[in-house]
Amino acid sequence: MIEASNLTKLFKDKKRGEIRAVDNISFTCRPGEIYGLLGPNGAGKTTTLRMLSTAIKPTSGSAVVYGINVAKEPQRVRSRIGFLSGNTGLYRRLSPREMVTYFGKLYGMTSDAIKERADKIFAMLDMQSFADSRNDKLSSGMKQKVSIARSVIHDPPAMVFDEPTTGLDVISSRTIVNFIRQCRDEGKTVIFSTHIMSEAMRLCDKIGIIHQGKLYTEGTVQEILDQTATTDLESAFIKIVEG
Amino acid sequence: MQISNVITIFRKELTDTLRDRRTLVFMLLVPIVAIPLLMMGMSKLMIRQITKVQEETSKIVITGREWLPSELDSMFTAATDLTFVDSSTFADTGLVEVLQLGRYEALVAVPDSFATHLQMERSARIEIKCDRAELRSEQAEDRLVDLLDDYRALLIEHRLTERDVSVAILEPFEVNRENVAPMQKMVGEKLGMMLPYLIIIMCFMGAMYPAIDLTAGEKERGTLETLLVSPAARIEFVMGKYMVVVFTGLVAALLSLGSLVFSMKYMVDQLVAQVGSMLAMEFEASTIVLIVLVVLPLVGIFAGVLLSVSIFARSFKEAQSYVTALNMAVILPAVVSILPGVELDYTLAMIPVVNASLIMKEAISGTIMWNYVIVALLSNSILAALSLVFCKKWFERESVIFRM
Repeated sequence: MIEASNLTKLFKDKKRGEIRAVDNISFTCRPGEIYGLLGPNGAGKTTTLRMLSTAIKPTSGSAVVYGINVAKEPQRVRSRIGFLSGNTGLYRRLSPREMVTYFGKLYGMTSDAIKERADKIFAMLDMQSFADSRNDKLSSGMKQKVSIARSVIHDPPAMVFDEPTTGLDVISSRTIVNFIRQCRDEGKTVIFSTHIMSEAMRLCDKIGIIHQGKLYTEGTVQEILDQTATTDLESAFIKIVEG
Repeated sequence: MQISNVITIFRKELTDTLRDRRTLVFMLLVPIVAIPLLMMGMSKLMIRQITKVQEETSKIVITGREWLPSELDSMFTAATDLTFVDSSTFADTGLVEVLQLGRYEALVAVPDSFATHLQMERSARIEIKCDRAELRSEQAEDRLVDLLDDYRALLIEHRLTERDVSVAILEPFEVNRENVAPMQKMVGEKLGMMLPYLIIIMCFMGAMYPAIDLTAGEKERGTLETLLVSPAARIEFVMGKYMVVVFTGLVAALLSLGSLVFSMKYMVDQLVAQVGSMLAMEFEASTIVLIVLVVLPLVGIFAGVLLSVSIFARSFKEAQSYVTALNMAVILPAVVSILPGVELDYTLAMIPVVNASLIMKEAISGTIMWNYVIVALLSNSILAALSLVFCKKWFERESVIFRM
């Protein structure tokens, strides 16, 4: 369960002054559900997800992950969240196994637990053949799998995906999409951001439309379409943000 | 702060760093291979230059040879390391120009009154022109002066014998001079100039790439964000990274020290064997211990500053350009050891890099002034700690860490 209430983030910019990157956003994301934040670039999606994953602190408002406040106990929140974005990369000179082991240790797991979990993940993602090659020798699809393995080594109950398919080819992005579905099926709380309407439509149980730091509306795809009397998300989006 | 996390991060970063070719080049290859090659090449070149010049006969242009007393004339002819060419060969060219062209090494002008003045026991004059900027020309001058000194002594002896006076009357007493400066100090003066400079620069370069790679490199690859959302506290990965940078800088510095000591010894031995220079080279264990002691807090400062600067950068490239500027800021004070006449005082002992450079220089030449050493170690340690604290603060700032 992830609950954001009145989440706000201000940035100070020398030229533009104070920027409200995220402005008073509230939403709830339940276990076994994929919540999609849909909005164009610069809408505030990444900032929101970074606050949820404790990378940055909210200016005001709060977010609670499985009962723990992100601002007050970031350390405890971190072990309950798996984070993956289109930009997250790999340590080129490590192997997938070394990489996953490193993060497992940072998450406080024992070596035995890491090994057991890693073997399970490698089998599930069909990674055994390259688990010990160096990351910079891998294809982009393989690299995505390593990123996925890294994000779930500690078996977190909540998953945060920040534009996970951006810049990926069809095969890699299908790997990710399948993985997101699998997370939901396992009963994890999944939050996911994208600017691709079709992806949101296919994947999300619930969608929040975000633009210029504000959450305009939220609901199931059908609800949003009904609400705007449109047949596709793109028109719905335009209608909503242009009022 | 959990030590186990710091160790996990340190070990991972070290593994990662030691697999990086650029780091290895600066940390291992340059100190172990490039420095000895450079030093040995230099010594070979020096020896070759010196022995070559020594073997050459000096070509000297002479005017008014006919005015030489016959005894001196035959000494000129007999000298194996000098050949004389009569100036009449260059009727039209200016004689000084002939010298400057470098085909002849020196010029001797004998005035027409020379022989007669000597005969009459009046003071006579002979002129030598040379170009002291040229090793060869200087050597020719030395050889000529030696020859003329010999002749003068001969002449004095003749004159005194004629008057029935003992030659000893000219030398009521002798002065025996002995240089009491320890050999270590003399060599130290020369080598002490280069060694601190090279060690400081190598130390900085050894720390440079890992520092960039572990910060701006992580930003660029998108791994920093994954680290930020892991339960490791900021201070833990700052410590882990800091330790790796200190480690590589230290390894580079120590390897450079080792290879400099080794190759300078080799160089000196070569010079002694082939040129017979009065050189000796002895590094005492205490000197080396002191150098290590001085380098330690210095690496600490380098690591803190390098990490702070590179985490601020958006990309590897940006970090590189900052670090290049920083490199200059290290080279300039390090050069202090090469400048003559700069001596440690309490002010200089507090300035990082400058203090290390001067302490190393003096240690090599055999003097250790513990009061300055302590001030320098304290000052550098405090600065190292401050740089680490600053680095931690910097890593906690969202505007720095997410500066993309």
